[in-house]
Amino acid sequence: MGDLLIGRLRALRPLSATVAIAVITAACGGGSTNSSGLAGSQVFKFPTYQSPGTWDPGVSTAEVDSEIQQNVFDNLWRFDDSLNIVPDIASAVPTQANGGISSDGLTYTVHLKSGVKFNNGDPMSSKDVLYSWNRAAALQGPYASNLSGIDGYDAVQRAAGSPPSNANGAGTVSFQQNIENRLAANDPKFQMKGLTAPDATSVQIKLAHPCGWCLTAWTLESTTGAIVNEKTVQTDPVNWWRKPVTPGQEGGMVGTGAFYLSSFTAKQSIAFKAVSNWWGSPKPTLTEVDIAIHDPSAIAGDVSAWEQGSFDLIGYGGNSSNLTYPLIQGIKNNARFSSQLLTQPKGRSTWVSFNVGYPTTGGPFLGESAAAKGLRMAFNLAVDKQGLVSTACHNVLCTAATGGLITKGLKGYLGDGNDPLAKYDPTQAKSLLQQYDPSGSLTSHLKYSYNAGGLNDSVAAYLQNEWQTNLGVKVQLDPSSDASQFINNRLAGKYVMSRDGWQFDYNHPQDWFDNLWGAVASAGGSNTSGFDDPTYDSVLKQADETPLDQALPMYKQLSQLLQQDVVYIPLYYSVANFAIHSYVKGAGSTTSFDHYWNEISIQSH
Amino acid sequence: MLTRGTLIYIGQRLLLICFTVLAVSFGVFYVVHLLPGNAFVSDRVHGRALQILLHQYGLDKPIPVQYWHFLQGAVHGDLGVSLYIRGLPITPLVLRELSVSAMLGGAALLVTIGLGITFGVLAAVRQNTWVDYLLTSIAVVGYSVPSFVIASLGILIFGLWLNNLTHGALYYPEPWTGTYGSLIELSLPAIALGFYASGQITRITRAAMLDVIQQDYIRTARAKGLQDRIVITRHALRNALVPVTSILGPTVISIITGSVVIENIFGIPGLGKEFVESIFQHDYNVTVGVFTIYALLIGFANLAVDLVYTVIDPRIRY
Repeated sequence: MGDLLIGRLRALRPLSATVAIAVITAACGGGSTNSSGLAGSQVFKFPTYQSPGTWDPGVSTAEVDSEIQQNVFDNLWRFDDSLNIVPDIASAVPTQANGGISSDGLTYTVHLKSGVKFNNGDPMSSKDVLYSWNRAAALQGPYASNLSGIDGYDAVQRAAGSPPSNANGAGTVSFQQNIENRLAANDPKFQMKGLTAPDATSVQIKLAHPCGWCLTAWTLESTTGAIVNEKTVQTDPVNWWRKPVTPGQEGGMVGTGAFYLSSFTAKQSIAFKAVSNWWGSPKPTLTEVDIAIHDPSAIAGDVSAWEQGSFDLIGYGGNSSNLTYPLIQGIKNNARFSSQLLTQPKGRSTWVSFNVGYPTTGGPFLGESAAAKGLRMAFNLAVDKQGLVSTACHNVLCTAATGGLITKGLKGYLGDGNDPLAKYDPTQAKSLLQQYDPSGSLTSHLKYSYNAGGLNDSVAAYLQNEWQTNLGVKVQLDPSSDASQFINNRLAGKYVMSRDGWQFDYNHPQDWFDNLWGAVASAGGSNTSGFDDPTYDSVLKQADETPLDQALPMYKQLSQLLQQDVVYIPLYYSVANFAIHSYVKGAGSTTSFDHYWNEISIQSH
Repeated sequence: MLTRGTLIYIGQRLLLICFTVLAVSFGVFYVVHLLPGNAFVSDRVHGRALQILLHQYGLDKPIPVQYWHFLQGAVHGDLGVSLYIRGLPITPLVLRELSVSAMLGGAALLVTIGLGITFGVLAAVRQNTWVDYLLTSIAVVGYSVPSFVIASLGILIFGLWLNNLTHGALYYPEPWTGTYGSLIELSLPAIALGFYASGQITRITRAAMLDVIQQDYIRTARAKGLQDRIVITRHALRNALVPVTSILGPTVISIITGSVVIENIFGIPGLGKEFVESIFQHDYNVTVGVFTIYALLIGFANLAVDLVYTVIDPRIRY
């Protein structure tokens, strides 16, 4: 009898387990579920720590903005998770093999997918590509140069002129209104000669000169390559990007992406809704994305809120560096949440720049003399890069930069341990210092300048200690509480030795070498070290004009030139951290950008 | 009923307010534009792109010219546009934030006046008893401890030590949830902001009450058999409030200026928080706009207090 009862109870185990799971699921508040395991509510919530500067692709710059914009606007192509170029609005990635690129490499023919629509319902055609790109060239925003290879780019900028000046924004209005008026009137001065539309579904792009990086730059999401809606922009040329879209009405932040802006309260909240019957794929599962705009000081409270389920994720929207080490440790040490921490290397390098080429700034590292190079090498060899990573980054927030300044996973990376400047040799460092500054007079009043905050303070303290310990040189720390002032001075080459860094825009070495060193960077006002060299400039010009697979050895040569000249001290590659609940499927990040919202769904929980 | 003299007085004060606001706004405008750095510069925005933006927003013009442009807009209620959120009109933004600050300031004023007068009256009525000593001591602590210390202590006590006991009811959890009108959430910031001034009001109310309750008419009222409660509230308190009213102006000013600190400690998105943020973000137009509104508020608060005198004490005429 007893055995029979036990046997019956055993038989009931699967049933009781099912009931228990159902009860627990209901108690956990996952809401109603459907047969596919999705939660009843598909509202995705996360905080951001910066209000948008602008979401107008023609002039936007900030990563925090582009991570959001990418869900509203599309380019002709996009990057996949491995940063390969794949079709987006275009039907294919042009190559010489598929006839998309002419044999001389100067003409690109792009065919558009059929059925692409803006999220106000307007069909999208080749005319919209011409409008968007000509508009971006005329606006002359920070990423306008991505279009600079197209024939007629300079002429459009000249025709657009400089915006008039007015403190209350009226100048901006008239400038942008003028561009819209000219574009609406098909003024040829506002149209790049090399950009034409043979028919409604084809675009032809003629380059002024060979360009190996242009296709990659046009693919950069959320900037000048993104397609905007002329009718919408013309309703309010300056502020259209921050106006919510009201179905059935013109205006607002309209793109061809899977989401549209449904509400925006400055410095408080942003909400996006999924476009019904969106043309692309995968179709969005999320119905809404709610973003709370918080003060960075609220991050600890937000992590608590995330643990309680008020947020689905922390770190999206370019905020992956806001999770500090103590917060990361807190999540790691919590058995329930430790598996929900995502660590993702980002394409961001940090190094120390020497003043190599600005005579007015001076300092012991200036120039190409053996003494200047020797001292640069001495200060480099005195820094233990692995020690820096464990001391300042706790082996969590960064990894040692041992493969050149271009980070691991990107084209142009030299390979682990292949940057000779990553070496640590205090004995040789001391010997070089004694050789080139035996009296210590040259290095007696050195300053290391940096913008305070984040990792920079602990990194600066570490460097100071390394130079003191291994060289016996007391370097004064020169923190700047105002980042914009620091950047201004650094760009102007006003520091003898300073924190420097770069986060890649697109996966092409040109993005690094054009923007940071040599004559091109000097002309653009961004050559922080002042390093320039005729060989560097000529190799760079040749590399930039060559298809990437053939250009990679040339870019490697540029890296070697920088290393031979000891232009920098490599420090670290940044690592991003995200707290993502396990029920948020598809959320994550690549080296470059956060996963698109249409790839994300909320599972029942 | 406003007399001719009062109207003239109001006119003079309004002119003075205009002049003060003009002087203050120019001073702030000049100083913030001298700060190094700007709202646009970054690793990506430099060179020509930066020059275009500076020119576009008129930041490359001489400061007096920029100020003239600001004034032209300001007289029409247009404080210009944000440089940080490009093109965002500032006036609606600061008005929204003003409503948050006004709610906090109003709650703090309630704390100040409510606590101050209650404690002052009780201390006077129970002169030289333990009640008097206790309330006077609290008042001394109140005006001796800065508001940011009280705020930090409040967070420590109610947000950390007693959080389980109060279930967060008295703790204002950052960030602001936007639940306007939820006074319980505002209680801690309001106490932190208002407690300092309440100490002064306690002290002045106590002294004024002690002076008044020794007057003959109070003795007469008591001799006529009126209840002590009625004598205090109807006869003594009104006259004792005249000196209290005289410090209401400085009290309101201390609450307005104190809100800059308290809003930042508690993360309340009011004018005070905006003021500090805009300085760090080099959002000059917002800084000047907020400061101009502060100057206006303080000017009008002082004027209002001066007019309240005439209501409380009919002997006062302008």
